[in-house]
Parts: sequence; structure tokens; C-alpha cells
Amino acid sequence: MQLDSLFTKRPRTKDVYDINVSAASDPDLLQISDQMGLALALPEMKRIQQYFGERHRNPTDIELQALGQAWSEHCCYKSSKVPLKKYVFNVNEKRIIAREDAGVMDFTDDYYYCVALESHNHPSAIEPYGGAATGIGGIVRDVVCMGAQPIAFVDPLFFGPLNTPQAQLPKGVKHPVYLLKGVVDGIHDYGNRIGIPTVTGQVTFHDGYTGNCLVNVGCLGIMKKKELIHSWATAPGEVYIYVGGKTGRDGIHGVTFASAELTEKSEESSRSAVQVGDPITKEPVIHACLECNRKGLLQGFKDFGGGGLSCVSGELAYSNNLGAEIHLDDVPLKEEGLKPWEIWVSESQERMMLVAKPKHVDEILHICKQWDVPAAKVGTVLKDPIIRVFIHGEKILEMDLEFMTGGPVYDSCQRPYAIPQPVEQDTPVPLPKDLTLILHQLLSSLNIASKDWVIRQYDHEVRGNTVIKPLQGKLGYECHGDAAVIKPLEHSYKGIALTADINPRFMERHPYWGACSGIDEVCRNLVAVGARPDSLLDCLNFGNPEKPERMGELYEACRGLGDTARALNLPFVSGNVSLYNQSTKTAVPPTPELMGVGIVEDVRHCVTSDLKAEDDILYLVGKKTENELGGSEYYALLHHNSGRVPRTDTAQLKTAMTGLLEAIGAGTVAACHDLSEGGLAVCLAEMAIGGDLGATIDVGALGDLRSDLLMFSESNTRWLVETRPEKRQDFEAILHDAQVPFTTIGRTTKGHLTITKSKKRLITAPINALRESWKKTLWDYMG
Amino acid sequence: MKLADIRVGVIRIEGTNCEQESLDAFQRLGTAPEFVHLKQLLGIDCTKEETRNLFDYQCLMIPGGFSAGDYIRAGAIFAARMKSQLARPLREFVEQGYPVLGVCNGFQVLTELGLLPGFDETIRNVPDACLYLNDSSRFECRPTLLKHENSGTCVFTRKIPKDSVRLIPSAHAEGKLLFPQEKQDAYIKRLLENDQIVFRYVDPDGKYAGYPWNPNGSPWNIAGICNPAGTVFGMMPHPERSFYVHQQPTWTRTGLGSEIGDGRAIFESVVDYISKKF
Repeated sequence: MQLDSLFTKRPRTKDVYDINVSAASDPDLLQISDQMGLALALPEMKRIQQYFGERHRNPTDIELQALGQAWSEHCCYKSSKVPLKKYVFNVNEKRIIAREDAGVMDFTDDYYYCVALESHNHPSAIEPYGGAATGIGGIVRDVVCMGAQPIAFVDPLFFGPLNTPQAQLPKGVKHPVYLLKGVVDGIHDYGNRIGIPTVTGQVTFHDGYTGNCLVNVGCLGIMKKKELIHSWATAPGEVYIYVGGKTGRDGIHGVTFASAELTEKSEESSRSAVQVGDPITKEPVIHACLECNRKGLLQGFKDFGGGGLSCVSGELAYSNNLGAEIHLDDVPLKEEGLKPWEIWVSESQERMMLVAKPKHVDEILHICKQWDVPAAKVGTVLKDPIIRVFIHGEKILEMDLEFMTGGPVYDSCQRPYAIPQPVEQDTPVPLPKDLTLILHQLLSSLNIASKDWVIRQYDHEVRGNTVIKPLQGKLGYECHGDAAVIKPLEHSYKGIALTADINPRFMERHPYWGACSGIDEVCRNLVAVGARPDSLLDCLNFGNPEKPERMGELYEACRGLGDTARALNLPFVSGNVSLYNQSTKTAVPPTPELMGVGIVEDVRHCVTSDLKAEDDILYLVGKKTENELGGSEYYALLHHNSGRVPRTDTAQLKTAMTGLLEAIGAGTVAACHDLSEGGLAVCLAEMAIGGDLGATIDVGALGDLRSDLLMFSESNTRWLVETRPEKRQDFEAILHDAQVPFTTIGRTTKGHLTITKSKKRLITAPINALRESWKKTLWDYMG
Repeated sequence: MKLADIRVGVIRIEGTNCEQESLDAFQRLGTAPEFVHLKQLLGIDCTKEETRNLFDYQCLMIPGGFSAGDYIRAGAIFAARMKSQLARPLREFVEQGYPVLGVCNGFQVLTELGLLPGFDETIRNVPDACLYLNDSSRFECRPTLLKHENSGTCVFTRKIPKDSVRLIPSAHAEGKLLFPQEKQDAYIKRLLENDQIVFRYVDPDGKYAGYPWNPNGSPWNIAGICNPAGTVFGMMPHPERSFYVHQQPTWTRTGLGSEIGDGRAIFESVVDYISKKF
């Protein structure tokens, strides 16, 4: 059948079509989905056909578009619901105050903290600057719409190696140097402009991200308890008020674009799906909305995210079993001539939806006016759970919210999955002759080298509350820290620590233990600054869920996250799923990015990673160092594809955290750094670089492993700790009582780093030379 | 004046974003600061209760940020909006000896307003200088060390001993103080003669140094200047971010001591000046 014959133009209203789905064959249905960019599969199209058949009418284009948005992978998580439900949810959920656009947790008697983590992967791969900037714009709205003042950003980024030859790039793929520069520019231009510090993150390079970089972004907010507001309307008759940026054609089909693989044609076909951010609209929108909320003028509050006006209007009502009536004539527009369906699904940025009692509308509009923020009354809340949309007085959409927003139930349509069966044979690597050279090479490898080129372009201090900064150490010699700490309240020394971690090399080898190791690392980083882990966020970046192997990775990763979090009693307070991170050639390594939030009772007890003084004692604290070099930076450097990825023992982790936190709280720790990429040797080098001091350690007491393995193993649950001689007794007593294993391994010195095994010298190098190796890599590519 | 009667207007427009910590700094000293949107001073979209007059305040502060996005020259739009209606009251405010502080974007605004360097008249029609793109072409967020070189003219630094070095962080993309090229030498000479140079970037040894210690390439390592009267003061680094020692990057090495951060004396100096003068 000729497809065009199924589309009938409405006589009265411009640009609205009725679509004759009742007469459509199965191939026709798929073609309709394809032509309209709905990205819906046949069973979904047939469900639509049935729904409208029962009502003896055909849907309009705006109705189909609304369903395309609401039912996309991005909005209703149809693939990931099952493994998430099975493994990740239900860990200590009673502590979660709210979990809507962002998660809300208790902080003090009077305050909550609020956190969210999201991906902005596909837009960033096509247009890195705009993609990354709008990623920040989106996450900040998620936090604001809970009533919280945003106070920090976290930016985990994943790219292909910067030295990838241009000729090796798949067609249509942009070079990692271009992508990194664009993404960092986008983050600092947007983040700095709205005045929220970017305090931590991760920048990781791996071949698997060459075709599809990952840009995740997290946000922390703080609010008075009475200012918590929910994403739902409370009663019929309440008014929908649209606030913020005007609606345009940018960001049409963003969510459906996010729910398909990237191809060489994505640039051309999906450029319009990338939104345009405007921080200078956003900044006053935050002020205006938070002021309305503080003054108690709001009943409900939600941001425009994926799916635009369609999703936000539906969800605000549906969450409380109410309905909504929206008038498109009143929506502020960027340009003339937008079709009704475009207004309905556009994902233009910087928009918020407020729900208020009619008596408060004038005051809200006045506040918005003072900030020069566009605001308009666009609809009302209905008693019955139905959504209706009008333009020029004509009804062009009417659906049950249960049908539209509730989404298709997929338990019967569960995606097939194949659980990966990791083979971890361990063939020994030949012992390199010059281990000092190896340390230099590790320090200059992309994943370990200094990220100061990135970090210094972010304002990490605006708001004046960043008490532990991302770069730590002697002035002019700073090195990476483990976590950043914010002191959010004027009259309290209580702090919030943030970190973000995942190791894709572990994940690609063993999704289960890789996920467990991710949580272990989050906990290590938080504890290293003196923070007690309080909650976790996950952003699940995976490949195409229609491929059973990719779904299998997702299952195993979720199982690892769930098992570890449950053992530690840490709830997942918020998260996000991003699938189809797959380009023409390859899928990304499974990347369940983790963000960890820790609580510091008194920030004045925090410690940093830089060595503090000569002649201090160095301890290795925690788990035994084992032959776990699968996925290690050391093996990657030697191109040795072998080995077991690190395991984690949650009982040991718990014990070690408790003991070490007590030692830090008692003021017995001068510096602390967790062991991760590059193992003990890199950890020590980083501490020495930041403190501009030397150290001499002996690894003989750590076990019988070969010396290179002892130095470069990435076994979990280990920290390197510096303690002043006068605190030695106290420190050891605390760890002893807490039954935390520790080994005295050496002393801090001046100027040189030396590692021996039973007095045999393995590595020796001046700190200045190590710093040089560590510092220059990114600058060589980006400077 | 009693401290509690000193009203400080922290002026903001869209894109101003260091206002909270700036207000906090004045509040911690016992004065009565408040946020004031420029539209409240211009009488636009305000009720009668919301409208403000410059002379409601004894001190004005323009905080850091990216006012109006800084898409034109940094600070230019803020300055243009302010000058369009407030040039005369602003001149009177300054000529009566009331102090005005501009930090980061605020320094850029004061320069665009023609209040700084303020050589021949209180407020010039056309700016005499601008804050130009850093030599690195990048936004630079890093600790900076400032040597205090003012001999007592600047009312914002009288509590800081001359030649002492302060750790006050910078975070900007446009901080290079630029004069018309043919006038640069003469202007710097005048700044010196008038005792208008307040802070200069130095390295940890106290020496004038290049990047990164001078984060923007400012000539003569200038980080902050005042007008000849010493009552209008602009600086690129952020004293409100080093009010307490725990805000500074090295406290885990040095200890917190008294908790008096390196930037606090700037706020104390001006509050002291106001309380004595008015």
C-alpha cells in the first residue's frame, strides 16, 4: 500500500494528520514508525493499532509521536527493567527519601542532599560541545526540580585513545582529540557559566570508546527538608506553568536517537536531535524556580527532559493518578511554523514545568519576569487520568495516561541474554629488565597521566565550598586526589565527598567482578579522604540490548553491583540507563559508571593524597596483594592479554573502611591514597609527586609474588597511608583493634622514589623525573 | 557606623554567580549585605517594595560570574545596562567616598564602566582598559599568590601589610589587564605614581613570574587595581574563596590555625573604612 494514502490532513488545523493505522498491514506499521522517526517495534505498533481500534478512530501524528517518545528505551527502560529490578533495586531503600528525577537522602537534621547521574553519549559523539553542555543542563534541572540548590558537578568521560591514527577511525567517527576538546569546552562553558563547581570525575581512554564516546554527568544539590518538592500534581484544577527557554526545532527525537546505534549517517540524520544549551537562560531559571519553591508557591515541579512537553505533562499527572489538559497555543516558541507535534516532543533546553494553585500564578509569573525568564500558563490538571492536547481550540490528542505514560509492559517480552563466561587463564609475562622505565611509562600512560589540562578548565571552587579539591598537594606540584569534599552549609562543618569510578578493562574481561571492583574503588576513594560511603548512583552505559551478549553483560554487571551494594548496605539512590552505545564497528566495553557519595562528619579531619613530610612512616593497609593483573594498566602496557581481574571481599572491605575511617578521624593519618590503576608503585609515585617528597619502600613483606606483580597488581581494598612517627602507636592500635591488616613498608624521604624487595633495588627515580613523565602526556595532545 | 547598619549591595544580573559566597563574606563580619538585582536599581519589573536606590547602600559589590554570558567583551553588557541609567548616581556614590568592589567579572564590569583605572575623572565615558583573553586562551582555575603592593591608598587592603603575599585563587578566561598599546607604559607609570596597583601575581618565592603563577599574562603581573581615591577596587582573583583557611588548597599541609583565610582582610578593611568614615 502507498504509505501516503494512510495520512489524512486535518481540514481545520494546519499540520495535523490522522493516520489510518487500522488499515495498515504489518509492513505498513513498521514503515510508519520508520518514516515518522518513532523507533517503535512491530509489537508496539500493533498495540497502538489495537488501542485506537478499540476506540473506533485513528491516531493523529502527534499521538503517535507522543507514544514514540514515551515508549522509547530512554524513557521507560524497557530492556533494563528486568535486571535492574532483580539485582540493583531494593538495597536499603528505606533510607531513600525520594527517588524521582534525582535521589534524595538525609544529610543533617534540617537538610537533605540530592543527587543525580546521567549520560549524554550519543549527542556528544555527534556534536561534543553541545552534547556535553546540554548534558550538564539536563542534570542540573533534575536536581533543581526536587527543590535543591545544585552545588557540584561530577563529569566522567570515556574516549578512544588520543593517539588513534586518523586512518583507523571508522567512517563518520570523530577523532578522540576533537571529541575530548569539544566535550571539555562544553562542560566548562556551561558549568562555569551557571556557577556550579565541577569537582571530580574521571577521564578514561580505551579502544572501545573510539566509535562511541561516553559523556556522563552527575550533580549534587542541597535543600532544606521543607523545600523538598515532588514531580507530581496534587489536585485537579492546579495550573501547569511553563518556565524557561522557548521551544524550537532543536532536540526533536532526542530520546529515539539515544535508543538506536550510531552509524556513519548519524551526523546527517540526527544532527537535529542534538539540543542547543543556553547557560544564561538556565542560570536565572534556577534562581526563579528555587525562589518560587522557597516561597511555597509550588505543588509540583519537574524538568523537561527526554520527550519534552509530552513526557513532562504526562508524568506530572500520571504519577498521582490525575490527568492534564495542555494548550499548545500558549507555549513560548523560538520560531514561527512549528508543527504541533514538534512543539509537543521538542527537547529544547532550559525548560521547567511548575504546577501551582491558581491563586499563586500571578506571583510566580512576577518572579519569572524579574529574572527575565519566559513563563506561561499552558494547562490545567484534570481529575481523570487522561491527557488532552488542544491547538486553536481543536483537540488533537486524547489518550489514557495509563496507556501513554505507563508504557508497554515487557516482562513477557524480555530480551534474550547470554551470560558471558570469562576465561581467565594466566600466562606469566616475561619480567621486564628496567622496572623504573616501566613506572615512567605507566605514569605517562593516558589513563594514569595528569588530567590537569581538563581539571583546571573547570571552575572547581565557585560557591567557595570546595574544601578538598580535585588536585591536591604542595602549591604548584598538585596531583590527583581520590575524592572531592564540599562543605555545603555555612554553620556546619559536615561535608559531602564525591567520586566517580569504573574500570572498563575489568568490565570487558569480567562484568561481574568488574562491577564489584567499581564499588570497591568508590568506597576506597571516599574513605581515603575521610568520608563514610553513604549512597551510590549508577549510569549503565552498554551496547545494543537487542544483542544477547550485550544484554548478558548488563545482567552480570547488575548482579555485581547488587551483590556488592547489598553486602555494604549502600542504596542506589538514582541512576540512568544508556544502551545502544555501539558504533558501526564495536560496542563500548560495559561501563556501569558509578558515582559515590560519602559523608564527612567534620571536614577539618579530611586528609589528602600528597605526602606531607620527610621521615614519616608508610603503611599498606587492607587486603593482601594478589596475582590479579587481568585488566591492569601494567599488562595493558605490555600488551599482555591475560590474567584474573581483581576480586573483592565485602567483609574485608567493610572492616577496612571502618578501621581506616577511625584512624583518619583520630588524626593519625597524614596522607592516604587508594591503590588503583598501576597499583602500589603508581600510588606511591602520585603521593610523592603531589607532596614533592621522596619515599623508600620495601615490598618484601607483602608476599611471595614476583616483584613486578607486587608493585603493579591492582587488587582491591588497599590504601597507602602516611603517618607521622609520633602518631605511629595510635594509628597501629586503632587498626589492630579494628582487625584491619596493615604492613609497614617504608619511610618518606627527600627527592627520590626507591622501591626494593628484600633490599634488592627494583625502582629508583628522582621525583622530578617521575612528575615530568606524569605531567606531560595530555598536554602533548591537547596543549 | 555600627557594623550591623552597614548595608552592602551585592549586585547581580543573569549569569552573576559568585553572589552567595560574596554576600556570606560580608555577613560573617556582622554587616547587613543583600542581593540586589540590577533591575531593582533601574526600577524595571519591580514593585515599590522591591525597588532600590544606590544610596540605600554604603558599599557596592559586583561579584564574579559570567554576566549576560560574557558573549561580548567580559562585563560589557552588565556595564552598559548599569551605565545607561545609573552613571550619574554612581559618580555621586563614588565621589562621596562610598566604596565599590569588583571581583573577577566584577573587575571586568568596573573597567567597562570606566570606573577603573579612573585616571582623570571618576567615571569615564569610554573604557580606558579591558580585561582580555588569557594568554593560554583557556579558562584557568588555579591557586594564585598575590603580593600586596599598595602603600595605603586602597581602602580594601589597609589591613594587609605591604609586600606580604596572599594565597587567593583565580578562575577566569579573561583576566589580562590590557591598555591601549601606545598608552600602556604611560598608564602603568600613572598607576604606580598614583599608588593604584594593589596586587601583583608572584610565585611561591615571592618573585614576579610567568605562567602559571601569572595565570593570564597580565602586564606587570597586575592582579588588582584601585582608582586614585582608593575607593573603587577591582581584582581578578577571588578573596571570597579564601575567607577561611579551609577553603584554601593547602590547608591539609599547613593546618587550619586560626581559620583566618588570606582573603578575609579585604572585606575587613573595607568594613573598617566604612564604619570609621560614615
